[in-house]
Amino acid sequence: MYKLFLTLRYLRKRRIAYFAIAAVMLCSAMVLIVMSVMGGFLDLLKTKARGLLGDIIIDNRSYSGFPLYDEFIADISAWPEIEKATPVLYSYGLLRFSETTQTQTVRVVGIRLADVYVVNAFKSGLYYETYYPGTTSLAPQAQPRVGFDVQQTIEIRDERGTRVGTGPRPVLPPEYQAALERSWAAGLRDTLTPPTELTAILRGAGLPEIVGVYDLVDDHGPPRFTGNELPGLIIGRDIIAERLPTAAYKRFWAYPRGCVVALTLLPLSATGTADIPVKQPFRYVDDSRTGIYEIDSQHVYCDFELLQKLLQMHATERVDPETGRTIGTVPGRASQIQVKLRPQVAGRPVRPEAVAQRLSEHYHALAADPRFDLGFDDRLLIDRVEALTWEESQRHIIAPVENERRLVTILFGIISLVAVVLVLCILYMIVLQKTRDIGIVKSIGGSSTGVAAIFVTYGAAVGLVGALSGAALGIVFVHHINEIQDFLTWAFGWRVWSREVYSFDAIPSTVRVEDTVAVIVAAILAATLGSLLAAWRAGAMQPVEALRHE
Amino acid sequence: MSSATRPSAAARPPASADALLVAEAVQKTYAMGRTTLVVLRGCDLRVRAGEFVAIMGKSGSGKSTLLHILGALDVPQDGQVYFGGAPVFAPPGRRRLRTTALDVLSAAERRRIALRRRAFGFVFQFYHLLPELNVLENVLLARMVGTRVLAWPAARAAARADALAILERVGLRDRLRHRPSELSGGERQRVAIARALVHRPQILLADEPTGNLDAENGAALLALLKGLHADGQTIVLVTHDPGVAAQADRVLLLEGGRLRTV
Repeated sequence: MYKLFLTLRYLRKRRIAYFAIAAVMLCSAMVLIVMSVMGGFLDLLKTKARGLLGDIIIDNRSYSGFPLYDEFIADISAWPEIEKATPVLYSYGLLRFSETTQTQTVRVVGIRLADVYVVNAFKSGLYYETYYPGTTSLAPQAQPRVGFDVQQTIEIRDERGTRVGTGPRPVLPPEYQAALERSWAAGLRDTLTPPTELTAILRGAGLPEIVGVYDLVDDHGPPRFTGNELPGLIIGRDIIAERLPTAAYKRFWAYPRGCVVALTLLPLSATGTADIPVKQPFRYVDDSRTGIYEIDSQHVYCDFELLQKLLQMHATERVDPETGRTIGTVPGRASQIQVKLRPQVAGRPVRPEAVAQRLSEHYHALAADPRFDLGFDDRLLIDRVEALTWEESQRHIIAPVENERRLVTILFGIISLVAVVLVLCILYMIVLQKTRDIGIVKSIGGSSTGVAAIFVTYGAAVGLVGALSGAALGIVFVHHINEIQDFLTWAFGWRVWSREVYSFDAIPSTVRVEDTVAVIVAAILAATLGSLLAAWRAGAMQPVEALRHE
Repeated sequence: MSSATRPSAAARPPASADALLVAEAVQKTYAMGRTTLVVLRGCDLRVRAGEFVAIMGKSGSGKSTLLHILGALDVPQDGQVYFGGAPVFAPPGRRRLRTTALDVLSAAERRRIALRRRAFGFVFQFYHLLPELNVLENVLLARMVGTRVLAWPAARAAARADALAILERVGLRDRLRHRPSELSGGERQRVAIARALVHRPQILLADEPTGNLDAENGAALLALLKGLHADGQTIVLVTHDPGVAAQADRVLLLEGGRLRTV
């Protein structure tokens, strides 16, 4: 009993032990933060990769793409494991905003929007689609403009809520207004984006707020669509809006929903060279955020069939160069097929690796399928097609991060040995200070092993208190890591996490229970280890010599 | 006489069966650099139960060393100490003069630890109280030693009652929560006596208990020791003060490393 009693008493009364506790706490917190940030980075990488790609990706890693995608999709759609498959087309282009003449190179992605909504998590990252459900479309469309409903008069209040007058209610074209009211009724609110004058007026009147940026009609008339019908384009959010330190995005009046942007593309000829650029105007219909900066700052999304046509990758007639007669069809091509699997079939879980293998084999079999009259080049493109699970397709990114996480954890663990040395020094010092006490304890019957146990328990207690407080500190720090970074950026202009470098626009962090437990256990063991030398010395003290200690 | 030229003291039975504590031919030397300082040259002592024995001697004569050996705190190079007829130390040939943190593995050390826990109570000249603990905790500590954590809740009430009773006896019932730094020298020594007695030892070993006290406190302490003796407590006291020694039943003088009756 005396061991536990004296350990607890020394822990409370010997203030020098607080330094050891602080060292253990800081080291535990440091290792936990590193593990959490690296683990969070890894988790986010996996989540985003899966969210963006679907369960299986079929690709041939060629800018020229591969044919028979629709035939393949039609075949596999009958498979019980397949929930949905959709083709995707990738290209590069030059994006120009008509109003500002701002240009930038972008990666153009051709998608079938309705299919992509099913296959991956693209829909959840769309801004306007969230607050105006059903209004985002890649089909040709005019620009929606906010107008006024003269039948409804609303009170207009300033920022402080003081009534400044009345006026007609601002409204969107009926289908947009109806969508807004649906989402409003469902409780959806954009609480992050700073309010505009328009949202402030509607908020003051207690009406659904028109979020985002819309052009106003020029004549104070009713809402309407104006301008030519142009195909829709979804733009990466970091291209069109500015991220604020609060993690909200600020949209600009220069880029209202439906404004015209132009894409210049370079289609590849049959010989694989880019000869004549093509230009296509679009309307900006929505912006997308995946959370991966590299994608959100570079990707734009348009209709698959339109992009295919612009890149001259659509199906065309095959003409005999000698006779000039049509002798068949050159199939259209896609760059990728994304597949979403059902989680289980007939009560058994679906194994993505096995399905990917079957999909590869099926695609290769298409090259020899007598139904299709393929040219030599098309067969070559099909031969290179490979079906990979999302994990395999991203292995080149995920594996190094996994290794890095392991390595950094080991390195920080080694650095944390400083805490062990500190515990050793402080406990050794306490043993020297308490030499006479050790003699007293031995004189009343304390054994050498018992006295040693006091200091081993003391070390473990220092480890326990330090590890628990370190874990708490680490968890709180990780929980507020982005706010801390935003503060540092605001106060000192010092941004630790560069989204340009690390892809994600916020510091990812996941505090795992198993990591926390491992850190706590390791810290207790390390502190106990640090106490062994001091404990040995305390135990080996001769009681008479200890009592005579000055 | 060295152990090589005569039979080992530990090998022989205790000379007197009615003696509670017997020391036979106890030798203790200290290595001082290249020279060896012989402190005890073969001390013989017999203490009967209920006896009050005082050992006198000049400073540096080895009184405290002898007391530490009698109380199993120190190990003699030769000779043996018997408590209740059983040898306290291993035979000289198998005797380890220094302990380690793993000394609990040695049967002889385990026996000495058990004696210190149950049979002996020490009072030191400089009190030797733990400064972090208050009066009651200092006294209770002697009861905690030897009680397992899980057994303590059951034993605590009895231990506390004993501690309060003994503190009442030494006149410190009203100073339970005071720390040693808040007590006078005499009070500290009384706490030390309470700690030494709380486990009801068979022998109280006191090393210059009045050496650090003024005359008044010294006299009070002696009165306390005499009272304890009157109640049957066996006491072995070491002092250089003839006035203190005069309170004992028997006075021995340690001179030249040997004990003789005064």
